[in-house]
Amino acid sequence: MQPVVQFRNVNKYYGSSVAVDNLDLSIEPGQFVTLLGPSGCGKSTTLRMLGGFETPTSGEIYLDGKEISRLPPNKRNVNIVFQDYALFPHLSVRRNVAFGLELKGLASETIHKRTMELLSLVRLQEFADRMPAQLSGGQRQRVALMRALAPNPNVLLLDEPLSALDAKLRQQMQVELKSIQQTTGKTFIFVTHDQEEALTMSDVIVVMNSGRIEQMGDPHTLYSRPRSRFVANFIGESNFIEGTLKGTKGGLAAIEWNGSIVHAGLNGHDLQIGSRVAVALRPEAVSVFASKPVEKLAFEGRITQRLFKGDHTSLTIELPNGQAIVAQLDPVALSQITDDRVWIGWREEDAVALAD
Amino acid sequence: MRHYFSDAPKTALQASYWVFVIYLLLPLTLMMAMSFKDANFIAFPIGDWTLGWYAKVVQDKQFLEASGYSIFIALMTTIFATIMGVWIALLISAEGIWGRAAIFAFACLPAVVPGLINAISMRIFIRVLDIPTGTGAIILGHTVHAVPFVVIMVLTRLRSMPNNLIDAARDLGADSFIAFIRITIPFLAPALVGGMIFCVLTSIDDFVRTFFLGGYQPTLPMLIFAKVQGGMSPEINAMATLVLIVTAAVGLYAEHFTRRSRT
Amino acid sequence: MVDSSMTETRASAPRAGPAYAGWIGKVTASGLYSATIGLVANSARAKLVLLLAVPLAWIVLLHVGPIYQMARISFLDNYPPAAEGPIHTLGNYRLFFQEPLYFLPFVRSLIFAAVVTVAALVVTYPVAYYVAKIIKPQNRTRALLLLLIPFWAGELIRTFSVIMLLANRGAVNVLLREIGFIDRPIPLLYNYFSLSFGVIYLLALYMLLPLYSAIEKIPPQLIDAAADLGAGPFQRFRRVILPLSKDGIVSGCSLVYLTSIGVFAAPLLLGGPNSVIFPEIIASLFHGSSDKWPEGAAFSILMLAVSLSTVGLFMRVAGGRSVRLM
Repeated sequence: MQPVVQFRNVNKYYGSSVAVDNLDLSIEPGQFVTLLGPSGCGKSTTLRMLGGFETPTSGEIYLDGKEISRLPPNKRNVNIVFQDYALFPHLSVRRNVAFGLELKGLASETIHKRTMELLSLVRLQEFADRMPAQLSGGQRQRVALMRALAPNPNVLLLDEPLSALDAKLRQQMQVELKSIQQTTGKTFIFVTHDQEEALTMSDVIVVMNSGRIEQMGDPHTLYSRPRSRFVANFIGESNFIEGTLKGTKGGLAAIEWNGSIVHAGLNGHDLQIGSRVAVALRPEAVSVFASKPVEKLAFEGRITQRLFKGDHTSLTIELPNGQAIVAQLDPVALSQITDDRVWIGWREEDAVALAD
Repeated sequence: MRHYFSDAPKTALQASYWVFVIYLLLPLTLMMAMSFKDANFIAFPIGDWTLGWYAKVVQDKQFLEASGYSIFIALMTTIFATIMGVWIALLISAEGIWGRAAIFAFACLPAVVPGLINAISMRIFIRVLDIPTGTGAIILGHTVHAVPFVVIMVLTRLRSMPNNLIDAARDLGADSFIAFIRITIPFLAPALVGGMIFCVLTSIDDFVRTFFLGGYQPTLPMLIFAKVQGGMSPEINAMATLVLIVTAAVGLYAEHFTRRSRT
Repeated sequence: MVDSSMTETRASAPRAGPAYAGWIGKVTASGLYSATIGLVANSARAKLVLLLAVPLAWIVLLHVGPIYQMARISFLDNYPPAAEGPIHTLGNYRLFFQEPLYFLPFVRSLIFAAVVTVAALVVTYPVAYYVAKIIKPQNRTRALLLLLIPFWAGELIRTFSVIMLLANRGAVNVLLREIGFIDRPIPLLYNYFSLSFGVIYLLALYMLLPLYSAIEKIPPQLIDAAADLGAGPFQRFRRVILPLSKDGIVSGCSLVYLTSIGVFAAPLLLGGPNSVIFPEIIASLFHGSSDKWPEGAAFSILMLAVSLSTVGLFMRVAGGRSVRLM
């Protein structure tokens, strides 16, 4: 299938600072793609280049196979939902949604019909004649979404559109966005720094850092098989233990750490024997025992902090070598732990060996 | 700068800016250049240059007296207008006072009424009250004109004052008067300085009010006006240039001061 | 100063007041001061009266008073009134409508002010837009300052400087003659051209500043959003920038219109016999003896009423909610 969006060797410099560094990216049609990364990682610049608000310093951007790198925004068949919605304060909800249709020179009945259709999709028909200032944050968000969808773009861009909403509303909107994407079948490119948002909604997540793509894949792969420390740390939480790679066998790496040999998934990485490596370990993959288990490798430590999180409790366990490991325990597992002196262990396949 | 604007409109806008700058600065530049003309009449080209007119002007008793008179009037105006302006602004910003919008509207009235009518109504007013034309009448006219601007500047500043500053001062043991002197006045300082400089400049500039309210002693604008009507020579240009340099320096300082205090 | 709590009692309780150095200390140490403060702080009413009385008296007496006196005199047949008592009449107003010598300059003045206002808007809008949206923010202050400098020169000096440009032996005519474009000077001065040139020169800032502050407030994302939805440069201007700068346009136009209707020095220095506008007529009625004062007052009232109601109507039609004076 031809990719709907393609970046080829795209660079963007602001003076001497690099915003986007040699980006190559293909996006398949009909997918919900999230660009995820910390602020300043180049995700917004990438989106703005696709929207036409920035021009690449070098490289090309293709939309449906046509080069669009230097077209102004009004000549591109993509539309954007802005972070703060950018609703026109002087126009009613209806006129906001109709804005792009009016510029296409459509007949006014057609515009009216399509506008009301879109507004009913997000249950805002009754609000058609209100002004943006009279709407709640969530309603504004939905108007902005429908305004961008109205001209029927090939690709819809969303620039951190949920960041201004409170937590509850944000979760509702995540579900709603995903379902609108599925009903319309359009390609959504969503920019966020919120990993939870990315995991919830995306078909594909593109993790970016310092203007480059760190890793791209479906949410599950990214979470369970991060390819770098950055990804392991940015998506979800990870413990890192650092040691020397002693050998590899059958997709498992053997690493010398804390006087023992521990094993971790190799994850297809090409690591040099004898080099320093990091093992990423999710807190929920750490098992905590009240007494030293017989058949398993386990390390003794002391609980230094307990943080109650509602459905689980987060324990910080300090090992004799000074390393702190965070473990997540459900109430049943927690009830077994009576003393601060504990032993921790994990399944080899839950740990991932990464270049340090 | 938004890059996706094609360059043509941007260049056109830039050109309009520079044409406008030239439109604003050219007449004044010509006026200043003419003050160096070594001849008794105003005409281009300038030909021979001289500093003679300046030498004449700085020794001109009429000019010096008019300058002193203008400055005196401006200072008086500033004192009265600042006090009244702050007082009215405090009244309007006070809570629990009925009809604040109306008070504000009437406080702004002299700024909205066209200058000529303002001057004429004041002329009639002082005559009804049997106040003679002259210094007092001019100061009164200038003060009434300046008060609305002080009110607006002070109100704008007061609106940005956190409510709890006064409460904090009271909590720490200050009474109303001390809280006012130690908290409100320093907080208002930038607006006060801006307002005072505005008062000075508008008073020194004023022509129409002085024209109707003045006595026999001319202020600077009256003197320049009389000289222009009496036949023009580069002496006027030298006078005007000196006045311009001083007022522009004061204005530039005011701009600098208010900008600095804003950040 | 005004404390919103109306149940102030603390100041009356004996307490060791903080010792202040300098004049504040001297003032606060005096018995009169504590008596006054005690009185004021204990009584919300006293506080209110102190705050209210002087400014209200000032506004009523000096802001409203002169206009009221002007209105009163406009209904007298003679001023000062004859010894047997004032005679009230509408004759001064009737005269205005009967005498084309008064009526026509008045209409000319209104048209003149409207033309000047529109011209100032057209001339300054692109400039304001350029400074507010195109110049890099760090250069904006300097660009604005360059526009402000001329306005620190007084009204009269600026009017006078226009003569340098437009006189028969002024810069424009001399230049045109030098390059052989004309033989005889074009009469640029003492007509409507020089008058409007001068008045726009005087008042452009009153248009520019409100426009600038309105345009500067338009969020750039709205312009992005319009472009994103398919609006080219013209449509962006017409559908987003222009409507969103409406407040600035309304403020600027109101200010320039009201000011240009009452210009006085400019017509005296730049106007000619063919460009007599109403302010000159009114002023002439106050020269010398005062026997024409009632007429002058009546004409002033008419001018004030018409100009304020024109602006009021304009603001209502244009729908500007708040007009900033500065």
